[in-house]
Amino acid sequence: MVLIPEMPAIGRGFISRLEKYTFDNPAWTIPKEKSSRRVSIVSSAAISRRGDKPFSWLANNHRVIEKDNLDLVMTHVAVEYDRTAWQQDINTILPIDRLEEMAKNGEIGSVSNEHYSFIGSSDPIKMERSAKEVAERMKDDAVDTVFLVPV
Amino acid sequence: MLAHFFESYGFSTVLVGFVKEHIEAIQPPRALWLDFPMGRPLGKPNDPEYQKKIIRSAFDLFNERSGPVLKDFPDIIPVKDGRMGYALPVELVLKKNEIGDINKLVKEVNDEINSLKKDYEIAISGRKRTTVGASEMQISEFTNYISEFVRGNIPPSPRKGIGPIPQLKLVVEDLQAFYTETITYRDKVDDFEYLGTWFWEKTKAGRLILCLEAVSLESDNKILKQIVDMSLITPRFWSEGPLPGTSGSGW
Repeated sequence: MVLIPEMPAIGRGFISRLEKYTFDNPAWTIPKEKSSRRVSIVSSAAISRRGDKPFSWLANNHRVIEKDNLDLVMTHVAVEYDRTAWQQDINTILPIDRLEEMAKNGEIGSVSNEHYSFIGSSDPIKMERSAKEVAERMKDDAVDTVFLVPV
Repeated sequence: MLAHFFESYGFSTVLVGFVKEHIEAIQPPRALWLDFPMGRPLGKPNDPEYQKKIIRSAFDLFNERSGPVLKDFPDIIPVKDGRMGYALPVELVLKKNEIGDINKLVKEVNDEINSLKKDYEIAISGRKRTTVGASEMQISEFTNYISEFVRGNIPPSPRKGIGPIPQLKLVVEDLQAFYTETITYRDKVDDFEYLGTWFWEKTKAGRLILCLEAVSLESDNKILKQIVDMSLITPRFWSEGPLPGTSGSGW
């Protein structure tokens, strides 16, 4: 089991010092029945369509990933995590094919037309404006369920 | 944080995450902790059933009537010595006076790239995709762009709105992706410790980037020095270092 005390010194120190925000009255949204859920993925892997502007190192904004255009590149500032998995299979960080299979199987209702990417190295408090934009887009796409996937 | 935002906007959310203590502190509404190395939240490439096992475990949390709820995914993907990704050996730090003949190294890297190109094309054909290209430079241009920095120059960025050093970082990552995409497909290997050791300790391309690090550590350019100090070019984040004056000291 890898908890922070087991991590090597540099990573342990950095991760220990990261700001951990809390909410006083966290929201709780009752999920829809699974067969009617429409699911969108929000990734913090700084992936974007080829040709999109790369993420800057402390970007607060997001990129839109259309499910029919998965020619993606990654412009995350950090190099401490494994990138070879996503090079082999996009589903290791953006499991669109798996969700589509689950939709066909009735395990969820459907998969959204768009998914969204942020850069995980940024201060999440400063992402709120962009998160609101994403929320509006998801509502326009009748999404009710969000699967958050970090790297 | 994003989970709290989206939940407050009326969405039901679930997340998977790697750092248990952070999940416990932030208390997202529904979370599944993965005792996995970072970078592979769906666990294993090209293993649809394993990937769906993770999604199903996460989505099972939608059956909970109240939260926050945090559960552990039962499987563990083991890592070496607590490190969540590959880390260069701390003793593998080049000094500027160890770089040697840069023209010779450039030729060796270009020869190495050419020797891998056919297998790279086969990998693209097999996977129907490549992740190389964030820099928007041709593969044949990577070596010369990086080597200019090794020679102590700051060449102009070929891209509007992206400075030479952010572009350098993208080129370095594209170069690595070219190598590892090729080898993972050709040799059917999925082991980031092996791949890291191979790229950084065996290839000429890895040596070129270590030379870049050596020059950057002594550079007067603050941004160039900062990106190596913060381990944003070479992977030293999971080290027990840093050694004095070497990359990683910025943390």
